[in-house]
Amino acid sequence: MTPKGKAPITITSSDQELVLASLEPEQLAGLKKHLIPRRRLNGTEKFVMWSLRIYLLFMIVVVVYQVFTSVR
Amino acid sequence: MGEGPQSRLTQQSAGQQDVVITHEDVDRAHDRVRVSAARAQRGFSSRFRLLWLLVGPGILVMLGENDGPSMISYAATGARFGIGFFIPFVILTFCMAIVVQEMTMRLGSATHRGHAELIFDRFGPFWGWFSMIDLGIGNFLTLITEFIAIRAGLGFFGVPPWIAVGSALVFLYLAVAMHRYWTWERTLLAIAIFNLIFVPVALLTHPHWHSVGHALITWMPLPGGLSQDTLIIVLADIGATVTPWMLFFQQSATVDKGLTTKDIHLGRFDTVVGAALAAIAAVATIIATAPLFAHHMSAENFQGAEFAQALQPLIGRFGAALFALGIVEAGMVASVTISISSAYAFGEVARRPHSLNLPVTQGKSFYTVLFLCATTAGAIVLIPGLPLVYVVLLVNVVAVLAMPPALVFLFMLANDREVMGNLVSPLWANILATCVVVFLTLAGLLFGISVIAPKAFAFLGGG
Repeated sequence: MTPKGKAPITITSSDQELVLASLEPEQLAGLKKHLIPRRRLNGTEKFVMWSLRIYLLFMIVVVVYQVFTSVR
Repeated sequence: MGEGPQSRLTQQSAGQQDVVITHEDVDRAHDRVRVSAARAQRGFSSRFRLLWLLVGPGILVMLGENDGPSMISYAATGARFGIGFFIPFVILTFCMAIVVQEMTMRLGSATHRGHAELIFDRFGPFWGWFSMIDLGIGNFLTLITEFIAIRAGLGFFGVPPWIAVGSALVFLYLAVAMHRYWTWERTLLAIAIFNLIFVPVALLTHPHWHSVGHALITWMPLPGGLSQDTLIIVLADIGATVTPWMLFFQQSATVDKGLTTKDIHLGRFDTVVGAALAAIAAVATIIATAPLFAHHMSAENFQGAEFAQALQPLIGRFGAALFALGIVEAGMVASVTISISSAYAFGEVARRPHSLNLPVTQGKSFYTVLFLCATTAGAIVLIPGLPLVYVVLLVNVVAVLAMPPALVFLFMLANDREVMGNLVSPLWANILATCVVVFLTLAGLLFGISVIAPKAFAFLGGG
């Protein structure tokens, strides 16, 4: 167990060796700064995503209406 | 990752890149060493140890989703419809949850990235923010209902609301105060297993097992037929098993735990076991409150504690107390998992440190978001005169409506060969996932029709 709390945290060379031997490179917190390249959406994908977005907005209106009528 | 003054970091070369090794990495490396040691050994005990080390996110997400509003939804189901259609239906919803959650586990193990992070990276901020708004609103509303459940459950024992909410916040603080993913996970697992407290409660009602067996085979009866009330319960029960926060939580927890592609088969086992345990607790809750239906007791405005009070003449003070404790436990565990889900997502999107292995000094934003969400939700519950009962059922309905857009992101990511390589979803998983999306969308649309045209279901025998 490594020290925690308010004491300064030091990472020893054995810790470094342990990390590099045990974790896959992509698991290192520092490497997660690197973005994964953006995906290009095709027409069908855009259509499905927009359809579901509109569906959600419409259904939220329905829920609000239902709450309104129930309260009334 | 942000470099706090107390995380003196060492530049080290890994491949061709200079990387920063953090305290979070060291903790995770210790966990992985134990996994590697267990995997290297042969024999039953080593296999079991490996299983023990790797289970966690799947069981936690499933038992976490058996949260306050979910258990109240199941209790309302039993009280309003008895033993019948909803018992096999709830089991079906957990099968859907397995299909969906397996994908998040596979994504996390293959990419080592959280769900929010992947959506932002692959689809860009436009779609990313849509997804985050859905998650943020859904999580916050659900958190409110967790505190409602805790307040209602502890109310059965005469605990004042402010003490109930305060205790839940202290529990949340203690749960994450260990600053170590492994310890947090094991502690919460030990508490989450108390979700099965609904099983002895169900047994105390001396259920009619023949009716349970008949319901499982025939999916009948469905008292009242298909009506708006039935659809609200259908949606609430679906929302009690599959919700957006689960996608974000299990993937982030998988990453935080450090699972890799070698662990995927046991990750699946973890998810299936979690779903089985949660389904048992859910069915037990329906069975436990079914006597209220048999006795024609109106349960429309019950919040949790009222179910316990109504059951007391039938199962005694002890049984009723177990029921109330079950509601409290469900709310407590979920308040932790949902707050953490929000904090993970925030950290992933804001590119701030986000791990339960972080000391407070290095994870200030992570812990701030976590506690801010929980404290605000807890405070709202203390506002007098709030229509809490309706909020509980409605939150599950909203969760179902938000699921199809969330599932499309998940579906596309799980089939994205550029990030998943050979671990893209097989055909059978895609067919099942498509069925889940279509089913949830249709359920939502049916609900919409029932609201706009309430008499549309009259031809099916409903009200």
